Amino acid sequence: MNDHGHERSRLRGWLDSRYQITPLIEFLRHKEVPKGPHSMVWYYLGGTTTFFFMVQVVTGVLLLMYYQPGEATAYESMRYLTTKVPFGWLMRSVHCWSAHLMIVSLVAHMFSTMMLKAYRPPRELTWVSGYIMFALTLGFGFSGYLLPWNKLAYFATSVGTDLVKSVPLAGDWLLHVLRGGPDVTANTLFRFFALHVVILPLLFVGLIAIHLLFVQRQGMAPPLGQKVAGRGMKFFPSFALRDLLLWLLCLMILLVLSVFLPYGPGIPGMEWELGEKADPFEPAFPGIKPEWYFLWEYQLLKEFPPHLFGLEGPQVCLFVVTLLLAVWAIIPWLDRQAARNEPSPGFSDFGWGAILFLTFLTLKAWDIGALQPVDSPASLKVISRTCAWWTLGLGAIIIIVRFLFYHDRWFIFTGAALLHVALHGLFGLSYLTAGAIAASLAAAAVARRVLAARKTRASPGGVG
Amino acid sequence: MRDKTRKPTRRSFLDLLLGVSAIAWLASVFYPIVRYLKPLPRAGPGGPTRLSPSELTKLNKDAFVIVPVSGKRVLVFQNAAQQLSAVDAKCTHEGCTVKYLASESVIWCACHNARFDLDGRVLSGPPPRPLPKYAVERQEDGGVLIVAERTSA
Repeated sequence: MNDHGHERSRLRGWLDSRYQITPLIEFLRHKEVPKGPHSMVWYYLGGTTTFFFMVQVVTGVLLLMYYQPGEATAYESMRYLTTKVPFGWLMRSVHCWSAHLMIVSLVAHMFSTMMLKAYRPPRELTWVSGYIMFALTLGFGFSGYLLPWNKLAYFATSVGTDLVKSVPLAGDWLLHVLRGGPDVTANTLFRFFALHVVILPLLFVGLIAIHLLFVQRQGMAPPLGQKVAGRGMKFFPSFALRDLLLWLLCLMILLVLSVFLPYGPGIPGMEWELGEKADPFEPAFPGIKPEWYFLWEYQLLKEFPPHLFGLEGPQVCLFVVTLLLAVWAIIPWLDRQAARNEPSPGFSDFGWGAILFLTFLTLKAWDIGALQPVDSPASLKVISRTCAWWTLGLGAIIIIVRFLFYHDRWFIFTGAALLHVALHGLFGLSYLTAGAIAASLAAAAVARRVLAARKTRASPGGVG
Repeated sequence: MRDKTRKPTRRSFLDLLLGVSAIAWLASVFYPIVRYLKPLPRAGPGGPTRLSPSELTKLNKDAFVIVPVSGKRVLVFQNAAQQLSAVDAKCTHEGCTVKYLASESVIWCACHNARFDLDGRVLSGPPPRPLPKYAVERQEDGGVLIVAERTSA
């Protein structure tokens, strides 16, 4: 053994005699990532999300060195940062780009977890902890958006926080607590600052620790239906080095985007030009849109009439969204088939249906195909039709690929989402009427399937 | 082992006492925090509010101006017949700030394309309620006075 190796084993002995690290090293040495028929790509997305979060922490701390919250200072300090401070524009650009890429990576991570049914027992709590981090990430995005105190941020925050008033009983109290008063003011800025730089990061870091602890204790989920664990890929060094290489690639992509598009790609919901300073006594202007990951919700709010079932439109909208998000949170307990380690095509289809539902709303919020003036009834009709065709096209591709390459035969939710879009966009039904028709047809079809499956299972010799 | 009939014993009494005092302790910790989080109502200038000279200039130039009245934002506007009106500037849908569109003679919210008539009643779009109205009058010296009390639309 050379001197270097000798040194290392001496250090290891020193540490081992104090902290008993040998079991830990043995654990890491034997750690494996399962291999299966599906692509390994899906196992890297949690890592890339963590990487973008680390970039957020570093750039966030750097931004903190110049940013001053306050009505007379927030916007001014950001202006100074982006125009005067050496590479200030770059720090802000990297922070913004990394935020968007973190959300892209996180959403892809969640959808792949869902499609591969990695949430199935015994990994329910890993899903739940990830789900909470998803909610916190949206909170990061929302709270960070206000901090530059520009016009767009001011109105987007006014609309976004106003939805809280629709919460039953505690709505008014929550609204006041969130805003630090009845309206969005400098008090809101202070509260969002505290949320963005202290409260959310503390919670997030804690949850990452829990999430990773779960993953280490249980290992990554093997492919569905695999009875005996096959030979996996060694985590050290094979997987870890691939991870590192991918992170390097992510950093390169991030830096190229940040340098060449310092204010974002310029599509609504993905641009961060500082613009003008917020002024509460200015009217809202057309084209106020939240960030792209909130656009579906923004559009859904527009689709609701002022009153529905004796409640106010936004209240019903909030209720529907809460219900959908709640279903997503408890999916490990709903999916009984995956719990038995069997394929659950209905839940995959639910995921694809959800993607189409969100796609249509997002396209519509982007006013794809709009005429001038954008808000005229004729223009709204053309927007609905154009977005419907795009969504139907995407849906057709998804169905064909699933049918031919994955041999899926379960299309109820995808079908319902496409029917909804077609009835609304092509046949001119209102969004909610079309949605109600599609949802009831889907519910009837699912009920038929479930009853048929029960009957087969009850009859002797049937397969469940 | 706990008996199913659960006769009150000294132990169960002490458990109850512990539970109650734990809840009381938690309440005493959280009550101040809950109260602390909701800020006091802003003490704006109450009662009738006069438009400042700069606000008046803006009103004459754009046919509308948004001003603070008792901690609220109020839209004061002048219709084609030079009549003054005032409504709450906060859209009843999602709280954006509305504006007066002189060309169409409506009050308009850009956020979700809501339209109100000049009395604050909803014409189209998603708002569930009309905009509250304020009494406004032009004074002899040309100044504009907003009376803080609302009148129903």
